[in-house]
Amino acid sequence: MKDLYRNPFSGVNAVQLDTDLILEYWCNPFLYDLFSEIKEYDIYNDTNNIVLMGGRSTGKSMFLRYWSYPVQLKISEKENISLNEIIQRNKGVGFYFRIDGAKLKSFQGHGLSQEHWTSVFTHYFELIVGRQYIEVLNLLEVERSIDGKIITAQLIPKLCGLLEFNNHTSLENIITEFDLRIKEVEVHLGNVPFYKKEFVPKDRGFLSQSLSFGIPELLLSVIPSFKNLNLIILLDEYENFLHYQQKVVNTLLRFTKPHTKFRIGMRLEGFRTFEMISEDDFIKEGREYRKVVFEEVVNKNSGYQDFLCEIAKKRLESIPALKDREFTNIKTILGDSENLEQEAIELAQSKPNKIFEQFSKKFPKEDLEKLRCPQNPLLELLNFIWLSRGVTADQTAKSMNDYLNKVKGSDDGEKYRRDYIDKYKLTLTFLLCSIYRTNKQYYSFNTFAFLSSGIVGHFIELCRRSFSIADWGDTDTLLAKGIIKKDFQNKAAIEFSNSEKQQIGRIETYGGLISKFIVNVGNIFRGFHLDIQMRYPETNQFAINVDSIQDSELQNALKAAVRWTIIQRKPKMQRSGPSESLQDLYMLNRIFSPSFQISYRTRGGKSISLNEASLKKLMYEDKINLGDYLIVDDVQPKGQNKNNSPDLFSNI
Amino acid sequence: MKTLIYNMELIDSSNKTLDELDYLILASGSDSRAYEVLSKCKSISKNQVVFFHFIERLDGLDSSDPLFNFKKYSYKYIQEIYCNIKNPSSCLEEITKNKFNSSTKIGIDISCLTKPYFYFIIKLLKERFAVENLSVFYTEPKSYLFPKGLFNAFHTSSGPLSIFEIPGYSGQEKRGAKRTLVILLGFDGDLSKEINEDVSPHDTVVVNGFPSYTPKFKDISLITNEKLVSDHNIIVSYARANNPFEIYNLLQMIKDKATADTFINVAPLGTKPMALGACLFALHNPDVRIVYPLPENYENKYSDKSWNSWIYDLPLIN
Repeated sequence: MKDLYRNPFSGVNAVQLDTDLILEYWCNPFLYDLFSEIKEYDIYNDTNNIVLMGGRSTGKSMFLRYWSYPVQLKISEKENISLNEIIQRNKGVGFYFRIDGAKLKSFQGHGLSQEHWTSVFTHYFELIVGRQYIEVLNLLEVERSIDGKIITAQLIPKLCGLLEFNNHTSLENIITEFDLRIKEVEVHLGNVPFYKKEFVPKDRGFLSQSLSFGIPELLLSVIPSFKNLNLIILLDEYENFLHYQQKVVNTLLRFTKPHTKFRIGMRLEGFRTFEMISEDDFIKEGREYRKVVFEEVVNKNSGYQDFLCEIAKKRLESIPALKDREFTNIKTILGDSENLEQEAIELAQSKPNKIFEQFSKKFPKEDLEKLRCPQNPLLELLNFIWLSRGVTADQTAKSMNDYLNKVKGSDDGEKYRRDYIDKYKLTLTFLLCSIYRTNKQYYSFNTFAFLSSGIVGHFIELCRRSFSIADWGDTDTLLAKGIIKKDFQNKAAIEFSNSEKQQIGRIETYGGLISKFIVNVGNIFRGFHLDIQMRYPETNQFAINVDSIQDSELQNALKAAVRWTIIQRKPKMQRSGPSESLQDLYMLNRIFSPSFQISYRTRGGKSISLNEASLKKLMYEDKINLGDYLIVDDVQPKGQNKNNSPDLFSNI
Repeated sequence: MKTLIYNMELIDSSNKTLDELDYLILASGSDSRAYEVLSKCKSISKNQVVFFHFIERLDGLDSSDPLFNFKKYSYKYIQEIYCNIKNPSSCLEEITKNKFNSSTKIGIDISCLTKPYFYFIIKLLKERFAVENLSVFYTEPKSYLFPKGLFNAFHTSSGPLSIFEIPGYSGQEKRGAKRTLVILLGFDGDLSKEINEDVSPHDTVVVNGFPSYTPKFKDISLITNEKLVSDHNIIVSYARANNPFEIYNLLQMIKDKATADTFINVAPLGTKPMALGACLFALHNPDVRIVYPLPENYENKYSDKSWNSWIYDLPLIN
């Protein structure tokens, strides 16, 4: 059995996958109603450029690669049709490009001007785009979908004319010529640090648009079957493009032709600039492109959870040891959702009187005795909190009993139910953990789906770590019962959370500031979770108007935090409190919840309101005063601490 | 498989290479091993010494820091080059003022030079001055400093980092090539993961330094790189931590087995001798790319005490 098992969630990165694996793991997001802004039809047919924005591992690369011609070629092979047929069916053909960050960064420096590097990069970009066009033509020629006479008599001579490639007689020769010219650039990149000389191509240099738009225009005019096709440039990881490189591509976005369009994948805030090569012009959302945000799935749980289930199922089915025993439902393996009552009972088992002892320091024991509920420590804690809020012991006891006995028509029972089930159950668990000085556990499919924050890759990593730990800790249960213990899941969640938190500091720009900010904000949110009055349950978001921040360092750091999905902006502006004005709301990426021991959900309601001054403190200072970030309102009972001091949140 | 006949020796009192050098190139540093080789050089007053001072390393140091111990030696000729740790080619102008030629006997002590710098210098000597052979010196640390415990995060660098092609080592990628990434494992697990994501190779081979300087090191590197190593698509190989030629041969073997359209990328995150082997391999195979995470800064001191000092004869021409 062991030989047939490996971790189903390891080693799958869309950029690295073979085309057949792209197909194997592909889950069509359109079937899960994840994106309201875009339809499947739009990929090849929308006349506007489309920018797909989302954090790392949100599935952008998988999405973009799926529409590219190598994957569509695989589909055509499976369906036993030609590439041309699938291209005609799609009414378009996609060309996927990804230039890694290291390569992009090599087009700079060494004492050469930015103008020069712009020319070199433009030349290189046009060449790699142009080459792919010819590759598709070559495939279509091989399958005889294009009339040979058109290729030899019209296409090749015209291509040679456009490219100024001399007398090539086949498409393969032209591809080889492209390769030589691309290599010429790469050799230059290898030599320039030692000579610091400008690049001078042996033959001609290509200007912007000359091939990226020039070749499609030629194809549309020469090949009849291309007349109604769209050529889609699928450009991935745009955020890695340097400022000037984005200006080059932004210019292309502005001047795209009716049949040549871009689909660009990038992180949120991935535009380094909206400028174009001509300095007085810029691109604008709605005019040069429309935006589709991948992370908005955060707020659409049902479809997103089904999507995750399907992704997991495909991976689980690829492992014989799991498939043979039908362990292919991730919800069954992880458990559908967490059992807070059970968690609380296990927590209180060794010291059942601990909650009572804590509260007995401030409240009469005879009152507390009336409110004991050993079979459910969460209810006991809720009762004591009601008592601390001024509700009498008898009233509290009656409300609980009405709820437990499901007394029909009881307002008290209904109010109690609302407090427990709808409002405070999770908060009570956090408080209970704090009383027992232990950590809240993060486990179950539902929790992992929330923790993933709309980032498919996070969900996969949580699963990968869970399987890995289970494989070490209890392979038998994993392979014989198809279950992963919650302790293992929790360990996976904590480790991944800590690892993500630790890596914030390594972010290329503003890593240090963002890291400090997250630690400070996380601790503030933790403070809210320890409030024994539960005034602002599960608070884990903050409000700020980014555009009003004058200090560019602070503003850029906050934008970098969004780009790296350390924080996530809610789609709509909201009020941070009843009397506040509308502002952009941000939440911590939920993957940090285990590190800070805070809720993985967002309940709405209260959020901390930040301004430039407070943001500065949070980004630059190691030690912050919790009270500075809590606006105390009248909810606080009379006679108790009414100032903004940290002991507001101290345990009783 | 090509076999490289190589020479590496421990530096002891009978070794004359050091004293026969025309130039010794090294970097200043706070680690105790920084001047171990220099101290063994009996003819320091005859050699011409080129010192690299990284401005970032000097920041905030007072004059009592061990970094300044190099001043206690007397030199016939010393060139001190102040340069930026993030930009190896910033030293170009200064270093090319020296009169190197193909017959100049040059030694480089890489103990405190950063990897991008010694990669740059070695290729510069080959490309601009047609230097054919180099003597490379390296002093092993007795231990590394693990501020957070043995198996927790270890960083030889600090601050944000960004992944670069080492200047001069861009390689040549055929379109549609399958990428192979060879990661020479270090202790900093974040780096290997980050590079693997950026390069996004079809295959990844991780090379652990084994035998390592001390037995525990080989385990630490595997544990801190757990995520990468546990991936089922990853191949784990081993090469001696202090022998650059084993890495060279391993890379040669990977290349021999690869198809013609494979684009080999190497990330030299492990020991400097391992990185040196990759450097030599890339010099002999210009289509190979070297990628490296360039941090904002390196930790001023990350190793403790000195162990053996080695000399490697490096043939720059294949």
